[in-house]
Amino acid sequence: MTLLQSIKNYVRSKSIHVSYVDVGSCNGCDIEVLACLAPRYDIEQYGIYVHNNPREADILLVIGAYTPGWEEKLEMVWNKIPEPKVAIAIGNCPISGCLFNRPHTYIDPPVSKHIPIAASVPGCPPRPTEILNAVLSLAPVVFKDYEVKKR
Amino acid sequence: MSAVIYEKDLTAMKYAILVSGRHDRVVREIAADLQVGVQQLRRYIIRHFDMMLMENIPARYEAGKKDDSLMEPVARELGMELYTRYIPLFGKKQIEPVIDEVEMLVAEGKPEEEAIRIGKAMLGEVLSR
Amino acid sequence: MKKTVDVSIPLGPIHPCFKEPARVKCETKGEFVTGAEVELGYMKKGIERIMKGRPWQEVMFLAERVCGICSVIHNMVFIEALEKMSGIEVPERAALLRVVVNELDRMQSHTLANFSYCYTIEHETLGMYLLDMREKVMDLLELITGARVTCAYIVPGGVRFDLREEDRESLLASLDAIETDVRRYMGMFEGGSLIGLRSRDIGILSKEAALEAHAVGPTARASGMPEIDRRLQHPTYQKLQFTPVSRDGCDNFSRIMIRFDELLQSIELIRRCSALLPEGPVRGGGIPGAGEIVYCGEAPRGELTYFIKTDDAGRILDISIQTPSIMNIEACCHYMLKDAASIADVPSTFVSADPCIACTER
Repeated sequence: MTLLQSIKNYVRSKSIHVSYVDVGSCNGCDIEVLACLAPRYDIEQYGIYVHNNPREADILLVIGAYTPGWEEKLEMVWNKIPEPKVAIAIGNCPISGCLFNRPHTYIDPPVSKHIPIAASVPGCPPRPTEILNAVLSLAPVVFKDYEVKKR
Repeated sequence: MSAVIYEKDLTAMKYAILVSGRHDRVVREIAADLQVGVQQLRRYIIRHFDMMLMENIPARYEAGKKDDSLMEPVARELGMELYTRYIPLFGKKQIEPVIDEVEMLVAEGKPEEEAIRIGKAMLGEVLSR
Repeated sequence: MKKTVDVSIPLGPIHPCFKEPARVKCETKGEFVTGAEVELGYMKKGIERIMKGRPWQEVMFLAERVCGICSVIHNMVFIEALEKMSGIEVPERAALLRVVVNELDRMQSHTLANFSYCYTIEHETLGMYLLDMREKVMDLLELITGARVTCAYIVPGGVRFDLREEDRESLLASLDAIETDVRRYMGMFEGGSLIGLRSRDIGILSKEAALEAHAVGPTARASGMPEIDRRLQHPTYQKLQFTPVSRDGCDNFSRIMIRFDELLQSIELIRRCSALLPEGPVRGGGIPGAGEIVYCGEAPRGELTYFIKTDDAGRILDISIQTPSIMNIEACCHYMLKDAASIADVPSTFVSADPCIACTER
């Protein structure tokens, strides 16, 4: 590994921009993601910045069970994120549809049918610490040696 | 080629709002009141209302039914306030000639109920145009 | 509505200021906003359709997940509707504990709404203070119910857990700390001259318009309509001598300040509950039966109505939910946003009505 690459690895693990997109949840998981911003959890001390702008994001947090309104649009958002990128599913909804996945529903889970999901945090809703832990443990692994892997 | 980014046909989603329990009951009530087909009224609403207004139709309908500030009997019976302010199906310009006509019918000696029914049918015609 | 306009500026569905996806299309003339439309459909899950034909034991949890921010009140209204329908009595202690949990939920919801507003007008410091305070309230909620968000605390005929004496003491101690915080942040918000410039006389919702759109909750109470509060009709609140607050500023500033007022009011209500709390059981039991009912309750955002019809086994035959956000967002986008002086005021005005898209679309 070159020196440049190791510097890049270090920087990438300490500067993570996060964007979240709600594709039809009950709002509970949204609020838990928002609670990560609170001084108690202080997401920014780990170098994570919740920006909510897909064009600057490294990590996309997907919340919710994929409603018809997001057809085509979720992929569009995913394509706008620059490489290297990764998506994390937050809560039960993107994994299985949770208790909305019943007859006569409008939703179409899982989200992994539509965009690649690298990790998921189950829970209804998961605690902010769990979300934080998932982002922190995933980011260094996925973004490590990105240029080497691309070749 | 640049694709249109956001604009999407919303008819399906709007229809999904209109067929949910309470909205369906209110739309049926209005359709029966104006003597038009339910599908015709739905089509008119989908074309002219935005989604937020459609979600709010039942609450607005109730608020409109409760409002009795309007004194003129003919206009109130025809739902002047209800159908222009609360559920904006018509503009003022569309409903005023109908009110005039109905008032004329009443003046000519037609029973009021009959005249109102004719007036409502006239309003319904505006919708189906 | 098909209209020809100068420029139509869309905000959303993904917007740094909106917590949830909604699309606000603003019709503008230069910077001047002449009207706005909201496009939904990003959160439509069809909960009412799923609920039909299911036993109440399942629907109870579905009702709670209509909205993740105000889940306690959805639980409470649904269960109290079933109780009223089937004539189930609730023990005194359980009724008061319900109010305690409901008011804690209202507190965290109002704090979150005010955080969102401060964040939207770029006053991040105050926003973070409020979010930190919200965590304290969430802790209390967790202390009593055992979960942070979806707690399913209220069951027919009572509540799930009793409040232990030592928990009651720590609840009261935390409330004292929270009250000091609220008063401090309220002073900061009220005295901040830049906050005043961004908030006062912006997003006017007159009383007539509020009546027309059937606006409810803090949004209507900020336009001088205290009588809109459904807590006045609730027997437990009547016992607590509840009186609603109101302001008549009609603007963004009043809407935020009334939420601060209600935070203090909620703290006072919880204290009164705790003083009245009698010894006794918290679960009386009872099985919901057949019936049909329209039941209202006051959610943090306003009047919440459930229309329920069940059969003998307690299965839900027909249900419709009218959430407060429907009326408030409608009032917001068709009256407040009209004549906004600048596009920059649109997100802050939209957030000041405390929109909850998950509630709106269900």
